[in-house]
Amino acid sequence: MEPVGRKEELLSRIAVALRGHEANNPASGAAAGSEAAQSVTDRIARFRNMFESQGGNFLAGPSLDPLLPELGEALRISGVTALFSPPGDERARLVAETLVPFGPFRLASPGEIRMVSAPASAGIQTAEFAIAETGTLVQSGQKGKTLLPGLISDVHVAILSPAAFVDRMEECLAALSEDLPRTISFITGPSRTGDIEQTLTIGAHGPKKVIVVLLP
Amino acid sequence: MEPLSRFFYRRSEKALSDATLQASISRTTGKFVGARADSVAAFPGFEAARDEGSRIKRETLDRLDHHLGRFIDEAERRGAVIHAARDGAEAREIAARIAKEEGVTLAVKSKSMVGEEVDLTSALEAAGVEVVESDLGEFIVQLAGEPPSHIIAPAVHKTREQVSRLFVEKLGEPYTDKIPELVAIARRRLREKFLSAGMGVSGANFLCADTGSIALVTNEGNGRMGTILPRVHLVIAGIEKVIPRLSDLPVFLRLLPRSATGQPISTYVSVLTGVKRPEDPEGPEKLHIILLDNGRSGILKGKYRDILKCIRCGACLNICPVYQSVGGHAYGWTYPGPIGSVLTPLMTGLAEGIPLANASTLCGACADVCPVKIPIPGLLLELRADERDRGLKDPAEVFGMKGYAAVMSRAGILEALERIAGVISSVFLKEGKAPWLPFRFSGWTDRRDFPAPAPQPFRKLWKKQRGIRPWNR
Ligand code: SF4
Repeated sequence: MEPVGRKEELLSRIAVALRGHEANNPASGAAAGSEAAQSVTDRIARFRNMFESQGGNFLAGPSLDPLLPELGEALRISGVTALFSPPGDERARLVAETLVPFGPFRLASPGEIRMVSAPASAGIQTAEFAIAETGTLVQSGQKGKTLLPGLISDVHVAILSPAAFVDRMEECLAALSEDLPRTISFITGPSRTGDIEQTLTIGAHGPKKVIVVLLP
Repeated sequence: MEPLSRFFYRRSEKALSDATLQASISRTTGKFVGARADSVAAFPGFEAARDEGSRIKRETLDRLDHHLGRFIDEAERRGAVIHAARDGAEAREIAARIAKEEGVTLAVKSKSMVGEEVDLTSALEAAGVEVVESDLGEFIVQLAGEPPSHIIAPAVHKTREQVSRLFVEKLGEPYTDKIPELVAIARRRLREKFLSAGMGVSGANFLCADTGSIALVTNEGNGRMGTILPRVHLVIAGIEKVIPRLSDLPVFLRLLPRSATGQPISTYVSVLTGVKRPEDPEGPEKLHIILLDNGRSGILKGKYRDILKCIRCGACLNICPVYQSVGGHAYGWTYPGPIGSVLTPLMTGLAEGIPLANASTLCGACADVCPVKIPIPGLLLELRADERDRGLKDPAEVFGMKGYAAVMSRAGILEALERIAGVISSVFLKEGKAPWLPFRFSGWTDRRDFPAPAPQPFRKLWKKQRGIRPWNR
């Protein structure tokens, strides 16, 4: 439908309101000083600390193989039976395929998981950034990527490499601003609610578990 | 929603005698206050972030026409349809038209205070749309047919037993007093809705002018589901939600969750820009943004501009001794607590909302915690002055206050009166308190006792102690 309401009128109403009431604020101060460059290991350590303190699970190893039993067990106890990864995400597909023998798992398509009757699933996807300051994963829809693994799955498995770690949100916003996608999703730990008696309860609408798999 | 703020005293009396409500309010506010204090203490940059957030908000308001204009241009360039709503009625009309023209029959809504303000849900329902509140707290109060009672935790006034009985009665679910099971029921029920809804309705925490982006903050994940899965996304936001740049967002994200729930960041932050691109596998094809004025440009005009800096964190509610005592519903409109005590008189009219501004001890706790440094007690005082200037205050009370000021500033008259009062007090006294005051001051003693004058005035004792006779000063 065509826009209704008069935008010009709204803006001129605001302009009129502002006239005769001058700004009385001091000139803008300098923005908070940027932190000194941090080493990658330090960034990863700070990320892990924040991520775990907000309910995330963190796995790291020299390669995928030694992590598979623990990852499989974490998914199994969450009741996961279906694994899915987005088309085009080779790394995630490899994790999903090699994980199948480590639990009662089978591979599923994202379309199947989108059904009301979907089986309990793990969505596996390479995350674009990990922010050390808050322990936050960043998943965007840039270049046609899907957001389903971190959205509708029961367990979200985020694959990270050391290059994905940044200090602050500012850095990843700047990187994504070049070609701003429709959706940027910042994810910090599992979905939660405190709406009943202010008691923290996990698994409101999003994933009940978020697992980071850090590989070289 | 229809304001009932003029009945604040009656409504707070009811709240004060409701034991269940009292228990849930104190549990919630206590938790939030503690969590906020801990997380602020653990983040050394908080004060600097407050300064910066406050400055950015104020500067944006000072040039709101420019920044909002920029937001509109950028959002339109990326496929959004922008609608300007002068008031609540217009917003409702626009939303109903959008739903009709988009052919929507089921909408999932995430929490939006502005949605409450204009009663968006009922407008959509009148247009034949089934509207499901997807935030758990909102889902609960929707089932109960009640308005939310807290900005951040809409169902704070409900116990788990009450929630379960609602689920039994309205959803046919089995009774359980286990909170995780209750959450699982809501997850299952709402997942069906997310997957089949034609439209997602949300508010916006921030509107970024330089990119036309909408920033949305949630913990449950309903905000994401409802804005990624359905074909149409309808946003309703107040005009004051604009920030100049996407790069300004991080500072507000350092302030908002810490102030609201004590989290270093909310579980989910979504930055949504325009509509689905051709290569995107999901995302809305249509984006409608309703920009709501509803009195905000009037507030911008005058001395209350700072109140529009508010980022709706709820910290001032939790810390407020009045809110802690009466809870959200007593305030009678969308915005409770200190923020509501300023906004309600400004947005619904002074006569309607002034009881809220008067129900404050001006203790200043709200200003101490406000992440964008809004001088709330000062604004409450301004409102009281406006009430007097517009002749809304009882003239006898104004006269009495003037007399009081005159007496208190002249020691001689005061002493004379004190001696008389010492005698007269024996007439009005009951257990050391004056249960009622004569004449037009009875409004003061309808609900509380006025302390009786002491037989020996303090000033006299003080001077005696120091060996100074009142008459040879
Ligand atoms: S007035 Fe300040 S403390 Fe209160 S809700 Fe708004 S931003 Fe938060």
